Amino acid sequence: MLKLGTPVFAAIIMATAAFAEPTGTFRQAHELGYGAESTLDPISNGRVRQITEKVMSRLVRPGQDGTPTPDLAVSWEANDDATIWTFTLREGVTFHDGTAFDANDVVYTLIRLLDPDLGSPARSAVAMIQEVKALDDMTVQLTLDTPFADMPLQLMDYRLRIIPEDSGDTIGTTGIGTGPFKVEKFDADGTSVLVANMDYWKGAPGVARMEVIGIPDAQARLQALLGGQLDMERGITAQQRVMLEGSDRFTLQEIPTGNWSGLVFRTDVEPYSDPRVRKAVRLVADRQDLVELVLGGGGVVACDTPVAPSDQYRTVLSCEQDIEGAKALLSEAGYPDGIDIDVYVSTLESIWPTLAVAYQAQAAEAGIRVNVVQTPTDGYWSQVWMSKDAFATRWNERPADQVLHEVWHSSAKWNESYFKDATFDQILSDARRELDFEKRKALYVSAQEYLWENGGTLIPYHVTRLVGVSSRVSNLDAVVNDAVRWRLITVE
Amino acid sequence: MLRMFLRRTLLGLATVAIVSVIIFAGIELLPGDACTAFLEREAKGQVLENCREELGLNRPALTRYLEWAGNAMRGDFGMSANGQESIAGLVGARLGNSLLLAVCALMIGVPLAIILGLFAGLRRDRPIDLIISTGAIFAMTIPEFVSATVLILVFSAWLGWLPGIVLTAAEAPVREFFPEILLPMIVLSMVMTAHILRMVRSSVIEVMNSDYIQMATLKGVGYGRIVFLHALPNALLPAINVVALTIAWLLGGVVVVEVVFNFPGMGRMMIDAISDRDLPVVQALALIIASAYVLVNLSADLLTMFANPRLRTLYTRG
Repeated sequence: MLKLGTPVFAAIIMATAAFAEPTGTFRQAHELGYGAESTLDPISNGRVRQITEKVMSRLVRPGQDGTPTPDLAVSWEANDDATIWTFTLREGVTFHDGTAFDANDVVYTLIRLLDPDLGSPARSAVAMIQEVKALDDMTVQLTLDTPFADMPLQLMDYRLRIIPEDSGDTIGTTGIGTGPFKVEKFDADGTSVLVANMDYWKGAPGVARMEVIGIPDAQARLQALLGGQLDMERGITAQQRVMLEGSDRFTLQEIPTGNWSGLVFRTDVEPYSDPRVRKAVRLVADRQDLVELVLGGGGVVACDTPVAPSDQYRTVLSCEQDIEGAKALLSEAGYPDGIDIDVYVSTLESIWPTLAVAYQAQAAEAGIRVNVVQTPTDGYWSQVWMSKDAFATRWNERPADQVLHEVWHSSAKWNESYFKDATFDQILSDARRELDFEKRKALYVSAQEYLWENGGTLIPYHVTRLVGVSSRVSNLDAVVNDAVRWRLITVE
Repeated sequence: MLRMFLRRTLLGLATVAIVSVIIFAGIELLPGDACTAFLEREAKGQVLENCREELGLNRPALTRYLEWAGNAMRGDFGMSANGQESIAGLVGARLGNSLLLAVCALMIGVPLAIILGLFAGLRRDRPIDLIISTGAIFAMTIPEFVSATVLILVFSAWLGWLPGIVLTAAEAPVREFFPEILLPMIVLSMVMTAHILRMVRSSVIEVMNSDYIQMATLKGVGYGRIVFLHALPNALLPAINVVALTIAWLLGGVVVVEVVFNFPGMGRMMIDAISDRDLPVVQALALIIASAYVLVNLSADLLTMFANPRLRTLYTRG
């Protein structure tokens, strides 16, 4: 028995020495935002992102600096007017169920996403794709209905994850992908279990097991982190910061994001239909003050540009509070005695009321008398947002082109400020067809400058995300969710 | 006796029926519905229409009420809003968990309350009574979310003795809830103990001053015998109603505690269902909790009547 056992034992030791086995369990929470509608389908509203991001891969992923980096696609090129894109896929990748990954899976995923009947919110990110074709097993060709120089950026969208061919009906529960982890058990309400995918194309991950636990209450999530029941919590608020700082059991990552909240003044109604009034209501904001008051300092000032601080197309403008300038603009527009306005908010986003009240005080100096109207959380998106004349809004990070199109292009479904401007539309369309990076950047910069002069949306800041991490975790990239390389994490 | 029993039962049923109307009407009056909650920014035009069509939200309210109430009477609460799981199945596990928490809290709380209440009552106005009574006032008045948070901070975050919140899945077997269940159990039994204790204390004082106890003392009955054989059983009668109310409260009213501790019981399920507008689930839970209140109160009333002949006669005459 002993004689037989020794060589086997030795072989095991040698095997472990050759490559480190994944060890330990990494635990994090998700907020169960869609309750019983939770699913693993990456393009459904109810996707549990904390799971899909670890079990499924995109064609292109953001690198640590945010630029497009190969994932399931190894390379790509465009024709001269950027209307036809050819992606070469990675060889030798398999799905968790053992089937080989090839061009058919990509075609299936994209066509499913583009299906208007499915009504996926992710569709708008790639709505310019007119035709998806597999040229051979490992090459996919996308034909666009408009020139689009930054197509790879669009494909980095966190929802555009490749699923196996014909798995549309089952993907919501199986979660089969090509990522570094596999779904062992999906239980949105309780604890979902992911295990290491030993066949991941970049090599086995560092941790053996991940638990993604549904905890709807933000306070309970923080308590679980403090009590050592979670290893990471991404939603630490500025007020909760003190609880983690100065403790050797936790580290705090500060990650600038493209997420923003703001106030929208509809450009199609009096008095905001006058660009001078729109500019005046934005000029009165002391943005640095708002960052301090509303976010406890955890933000980066934005001059009404929705483009993230880390985005390569972000422009730096100067937008100091200018009370005199605002007053002058208002009298020029025919309101020498100032204006009375209603701004609608709700606690849907906990900081909206604070933002509105702080803005109210700042605006008062220029004779803009703001009446803050609190509305119920229920039905805010359907009855207040885009319905009232001025209201609070919030957006998550999107690439520059996408956010400018989705929120300000005259044809956009979510054009919340009803901003319809041919010059602006033209700048965006020029940018999309410009293949030279520097020239393209100049166009996106001028689009942001144009919004600063003419827009109706006050964007005071981009939020800096605080991530609390247990000190037993190493190698967690301090970048936005989307770009984290989950494979590298290890736990003690 | 039988007539009274029937009358109370019918009254209870009527209460449940009225409650069901109120629940349904209340949910109808809320702004937004299952579709606007799920679709968020997408909730406009055709998409919204399709969703409402699919969930049958376009039909008149009365039709939907009658259908729902009819099915509920047969124990069929329908499917949750996503149409994938039967509510009866979903509620089952969570009802079990809430019961588990309730039973655990009761097992600590009730004996503790009786012992402490008895002590405080017998040693009225002495230091031990003052300490117990003051402690009870504190336990009653500090909101549960405060005591829960403090306990989590002390025992979980600082000392690291107990897990702070419950991560066990709703369907897990009972033993997996330990030791996570300990903190919520302590929070609940604190409040409960305080309520029952005060009731026991005052009735012990009352009974100990009554004539028959004096008689027993004069007859030379031992102190222990007086307290445990003559005084305590009578002193506990009024406590039955308090205990009953507490049980009902434990089933549905512990929403705050369940949310703070992330405990997968009916309270948290209610909050989750409300926030994702899973109206069928909200309705079903509200009805179940209301029925539990009625049932528990009814049994408590009947129990006290059986135990106390004076109440019984009063009722039959009325």
